[in-house]
Formats: sequence, C-alpha cells, structure tokens
Amino acid sequence: MARALAMACALAAAPSLAQEKAAVKPGFSMPVDKPVRILVFRPSVKVGSQSAGGLVTPNADWTSNARKLLSEAVVAARPGGTSDVVFMPELEGDDALLLADYQALFGAVADTVLQHRLFKGDRLPTKKTGFEYTLGPGVSRLADKVGGDYGLFIVTNDAFGSTGRKLLQIFAAGAVGVGVSSGQHIGYAGLVDLKTGDLVWINADYQMGGDVREADGAAKRAKQLLEDFPAPAGGVAGAAR
Amino acid sequence: MKLKLIIAAAALLASTPVFAKWSLVQDSTPVVVGGGKLKVIAARGWNRWSKQPTKQSELWSYDGPALNQIQFFDGLAEGQPMAKERNKKREPLPKFTQAMKGTDVAEAFEQTVRVTQGTPDFAIDRIEPARFAGAQGFRFLYHYTANELVRKGEARGAIVGGKLYMITYTAAALHYFDAHLAQAQAIMDSAKIG
Amino acid sequence: MNAWQAGIGTVLLLFGTANAHAKEPKPTGSPSAAGYAPIGRDEKGLWAEAEEEERELKTSKLVVRDAGANAYVRHVLCRITGEEACAKVRIYIVRAPIFNAGMFPNGMMRVYTGLLLRVRDEAELAAVLGHEFTHFERRHALSALKKERNARSWAAWLTVASGLTNRPHNYLPEFLAAFYSYSRDQEREADLGGLKLLHDAGYQTMAASSVWLRQRDEKDAQAAALGVKSLKDSDYGPFESHPMNVERMTYLAREAQAMGTDKSFDGLTDFRQAMAPIWPMLIEDQIRLNDFGASEYLLANLARGDWTGSLLYARAELYRARAKGGDLLTAETLYRQAIARGDAPAGAWRGLGLTLTRTGNQTEARSTLTEYLKRNPDAPDRAMLSAIAEGN
Repeated sequence: MARALAMACALAAAPSLAQEKAAVKPGFSMPVDKPVRILVFRPSVKVGSQSAGGLVTPNADWTSNARKLLSEAVVAARPGGTSDVVFMPELEGDDALLLADYQALFGAVADTVLQHRLFKGDRLPTKKTGFEYTLGPGVSRLADKVGGDYGLFIVTNDAFGSTGRKLLQIFAAGAVGVGVSSGQHIGYAGLVDLKTGDLVWINADYQMGGDVREADGAAKRAKQLLEDFPAPAGGVAGAAR
Repeated sequence: MKLKLIIAAAALLASTPVFAKWSLVQDSTPVVVGGGKLKVIAARGWNRWSKQPTKQSELWSYDGPALNQIQFFDGLAEGQPMAKERNKKREPLPKFTQAMKGTDVAEAFEQTVRVTQGTPDFAIDRIEPARFAGAQGFRFLYHYTANELVRKGEARGAIVGGKLYMITYTAAALHYFDAHLAQAQAIMDSAKIG
Repeated sequence: MNAWQAGIGTVLLLFGTANAHAKEPKPTGSPSAAGYAPIGRDEKGLWAEAEEEERELKTSKLVVRDAGANAYVRHVLCRITGEEACAKVRIYIVRAPIFNAGMFPNGMMRVYTGLLLRVRDEAELAAVLGHEFTHFERRHALSALKKERNARSWAAWLTVASGLTNRPHNYLPEFLAAFYSYSRDQEREADLGGLKLLHDAGYQTMAASSVWLRQRDEKDAQAAALGVKSLKDSDYGPFESHPMNVERMTYLAREAQAMGTDKSFDGLTDFRQAMAPIWPMLIEDQIRLNDFGASEYLLANLARGDWTGSLLYARAELYRARAKGGDLLTAETLYRQAIARGDAPAGAWRGLGLTLTRTGNQTEARSTLTEYLKRNPDAPDRAMLSAIAEGN
C-alpha cells in the first residue's frame, strides 16, 4: 500500500474517470424539412506534451494544427446530416462580452451535466432520466451575427506522453510491476438549440482516440466527439458518413 | 499550491472517499430543513444535499448547484457565522447577533460571500421589510460574479426568538434566476418556524 | 551487481535515452524587443498558452477598465522600461482585494487592485512593475518550466527505480524542494532587476523595500486585531515559491543604499490623483473582508495623517461592522467627524443613523436616516431604512 502510494504521488496519476458518456434530449432529432445551419463556437483546444514526471508542456504548433484540422474534420463529418457549418467570427466590444457570458454559462451547464447527470456518484434524483438543460432563449442573440439554428461547443485537451514518459511506463510495468499512465486525451462537445437555448446533446470522453496532430487522427477524433450526435428525423444516430 | 495537490492526492488514495448524496425533496408537504425548526413546502423538482454547509443550514438545487441553489438558515444563534470558517482564528467570518437589523444581516451575508467565494463585485441591489415565517423580517436582492458567471439572488428572513431564520435563492443571472424565482418565492412564502 | 545497482543503471540508461530528443533552438535576444517572436518548442508553447489566457482575460468581468487608471499604470511601466519594451507588455488591472501581480511569458501582466490599494506612491508601483517586467525579460517562466519538468522526471524515474529495492522511496518532495529553491532565486533576481530599473529611471530606490516593510506591518496589525500571533516571521518551508518578506525587505534596502539614495522621486501626487477615481471601489472591497486589523492599517496609510471624509467614513464602517465593546461609540464619533468635515459621502449619514439605532438613540437615528435618504434618494435599501427610521 505504501509503495503504491509513493508511486502514485510521484507520478501524479491522472484522474480515473474512464468512461465516455453521451446523452440526447429525448424526442429530439435534427429537422429534415428545412436547411439546418450549425454555428460552431471557437473550439477550446489544448495539445501538449507530458513529461516523464507528468508535467504537461503546451505545444504551439500541435495546438494550432489541431484546431485547424479538427475544425475541418467537424465540417467534413456533416454533423446531423448538414453541410452548412459555420464558425463564430471574432467579436468585439459588447458582443464579445455577451459571448463570454454564454461561454461561462455553457461551461457551468456542461460541468453540471457531466457531474450530476452522467457521472453516477453525484446524480440529482430529479435528473436521473430525461435531459432538461438549457442556456435559455437569450442565446439566440448570439445567432444573430452569422445565423445558426444550432450551436456546437467543442472542448479537447490532449497531452501526449513524451518518449521519456513512455519509457518510464514500460520500465515501471516490466521491471517493477507498477502501472504508469501515459498521455491524457479528454474531450467533450455539446449542441444547443439556438432558438430555445436547450442543450439537445452532449458527449464526453475521458479517453479519446485519434491523434489530433494529424489529418486522419483529427478526423477520427471529430467522429468520436460527435458520437451519438442527434440524427435527422428517421435517420441513423451519429455523424453522417 | 503544489504541495497541497500532492497531499490531496495522497489523501484520496489512502482513504475511501465518502461522497455526499443528493436526495429528492418531497413536494407539496411541509418538510423540515436544516437544524429542525424551519419548515417549508416546495413544488416538485428540488433536490437536497446530504452534506450541511453549516450545522443549521441546508442546501437544495433544482438543476445543479452551479446553476441554481437555495440555502436554508434554520435558527442561526448569537455568535454563529453564516458559512464554515476555514480558519476560525485567522480568517473569521461575520457573526450573527440578535441586535441586527435587516441591513446588518445583508451586510454580514455580503462579507461572508466575499470572503468564502472571492467575489469582489458583490452588490446588494435592494433591501426592504418583508414578512417571513409569520414574523416581521426583511427581503434583499443581490448579485455577484463567481467563475466569470454572474449570479443573482433573493433572500428572505427574520429574527425570531433571538435566532436568524433565512432562505437565500441564488442562480445564474442568464435564464436560471428568473426560471425558478416564482417557486423559490413560494417556498419562502410557505416558511413556518416550529 | 545487486538489484539496486541494476535498477539505477537501467534508470540512467533509459533516462539518458529519453533525454536525447531533437535539439530545440535556444531562445536568444530580448523578449521585449520590437518584433521578437518566441523561439523553440517550449517558448512557443508557453506564449501560445498565455495568448489563450489573455484572450479570456480581455472579456473578464473582473477587469478594471477605468481609462485613467490604466493609462497611468502603463505610463509608469514605460518610464522604467522605455517605450520600445513597454510596447511589448499589456497590463490588465484585475479587481481582487489581494496584494499580488503576475507576469506571463508573452508580455501579459496582471495587477490586482489589492496591490494598487497598498503601494504608497508611484515609486512603489514602479518597483512592482519592474519586478514583473524582469520576470518577462529574463524568461523566468521558461527556465522554471524546464527546471520543474526535469525535477519531476528525475523524481519519477528514481521513485519507480526504488521500487526494485526493498525500500521504495518517494523522491518527489526533495526534487520539488530543489525546484522551489530555484523559484525563490528567480524572485530574488526579479527583485534586484526591478530595483535597477527603478534606480535608472530616477525613482526613490528605497521604495522597493518599503513595500515589504509595510506588508509585515500589515500582518502585525491583522494579527493584533484577531488576538493571534503575527505570521510575518513564519517560515513557510521548502515548498514556498517566494523568499520570505523579511528577506526581501532587507536585501532590497541594502541594495538600495548601495546604489546611492540620491534619487528621490516618488510621484506621490500623480499616483494619488490617478488612483482617486477607483479608490472608493478598492476601499470598499477591502473593508468588506471582515479583516479589521489589516483594513484599519491600510486606511491609516491612505490617510497619512489627514483623514478625509471618505476615509473617516470607511473607518467608521469597520467599527460598526465589528460592534464589539465600545465600537459603536467609536463608529458614531467617526461618522460625526466625517460629517463635520463637509466632504463626507452620503453613506456617513446612513452609517450614523444605523449606529444610533443600535445604541438606542432613536430620535436622532430617524432624522439622520431621513437626511441620508434625501442625499441618496436611489438608495437600494431605501425601504428598509425608512422602516428602521420609524423604529421598526
């Protein structure tokens, strides 16, 4: 016990939330009778390198590439069957402050869903089933800039184990019999109805696949982020192939 | 900071964590909150947290505490703070006294939130006399920013038998505060002591 | 060869292999020079991360946007760094009642309002800005990153390797202690770098030391009011990122004298004038922390022997909130002094009225509160105060 404790302390083990979870608002499906525009809010993307000792160093090139590749991959994935995917432009002044307000609110709503709905240990009894979460109809003000029927929020955080970290992992397992994690790949995404503010879909994954530094890896990641994305009515769930 | 993380990690690994739980609040019937004297009636949809913020208080939430919450103060006695003190000797919180007026209670509440949550833009928007639990008391409105999210709040309370009975409703200013304000006010209206 | 030796041998071999990654270019030149761009993977990574933080800070609800205060703080920085270097720094004043400032590797600087409340004059402000600028100029964040990364990697390898022996040992604490020692050295370097900038710009060099002298006095005042032992001389141990205040106060005074104390500009008038518009907010944020000792100490420093109506009012508020022993009588007296001066804020009448209610002088309470409501008809607690004035 003491040995495992010492190891874990030194290695700053990653949190053990292993499962991916998704939820869709019951009864919701993407409309088919009219064109649908999805407005993507600036994705929160962080890519870094995890050292042998567990410290993550941010990597500028990986991060900017990942942002670009993920954005392209999300468009190419035709979420919900639509190809009309636009990105929120840079805003100034009061518009920027309003956007920041809603991003803070989305963060609080997403955290709430992850902690009190998807994660078993801390569920609210009134939220065990169903899916009633919203940003409120005021969010439509954000759609007024470029138009948009649904707003897509994306967050990914990747730390790739360095060579040193991987070697430590092998050595620890082989010679000592202790598990050392390498790399951390977390992501979640949510879709908001921009008229009502209702959160219609969320997907979280604490062990994402796909190397976001490369085009095909980013495509794989985009597909995973959009897992169980609401289908067009009568269609198949997930991003269109 | 880093040392604290290491110690926290060690503590987590060494002990079995005891999670506080949420349970459903029974609706449409008087429920006792906090220490045992205050009773309220709520509509369906509220959850109560098993962990008590302080000995005489209780926390409810409709959608999740980051989005909205109701806190009940069930007979705060002379000399007691409104929240748990991190360090009684070095970081004391304002203490309730029987001589307080509504304005004093609001000021003590403001200072408590400022100190415990680090919210420098806390502001009281309104204070007025109001009936609460059959007694002459007060009502005040407030707002503050925490984690870049603006919260609005309404509080209603009274000092009865030398003790403070108060209910505070705090929620995200965007959408959430308005969404359940009527329900929160109904809960406050229904309050009875003893 | 025993298991321990085998283990260490393997560790060194593997660690050596792991460290033989592609050589990254070492950053050179001055980060504050016009046109400087980050060099190498680590510096680029830190700048990119800082840019994201700055993006969020721009829209933060707690940034103080008062044009005058911002222009003034910027002007002080430019005085000590020169215009070219100053152009590479963005200063954000953040509302928080703490004595702190922070520098990011890309030139973003955060100055908390609690710090603006505590520095006495322009020279002291310049000392702090100079300290932060030195962190930026000397790339401290980058070297600290490398240092910490190495420390943690070595600790991880040695700890795991010790698992091969029958006495496993967690090496992290000792390696972190070494890292924090390095961090403290960086702070000393920033202090001395800032002091030089201060001197070269013609400011009173003792100002740097004074900041820490008064921090210690503040701790004393805080503790005295609480009836506890002052923490000013407590050594926080090996994991503290900054040297103890007493050490900083001392070497800054010694160095200041060695540099020569011929320069005496402190910019007191300009400083007080520039801060005046935001002072009421800063004072309010401080006195609402339930920290009687520190707050009274800071108010006395702001007064410098000349208690204005606003400062008397603020002090009275402290006594009214504490309300122990003779505090309410002291509060009453202070409010009266504020009112007598003629420059008291309307709140002085509110405070006096509420105090008189508590001490049983209902008649005068009523007239005083009525006077307050005349002066501040939009008072948020108008309805409550009217009721209190009527004796309810």
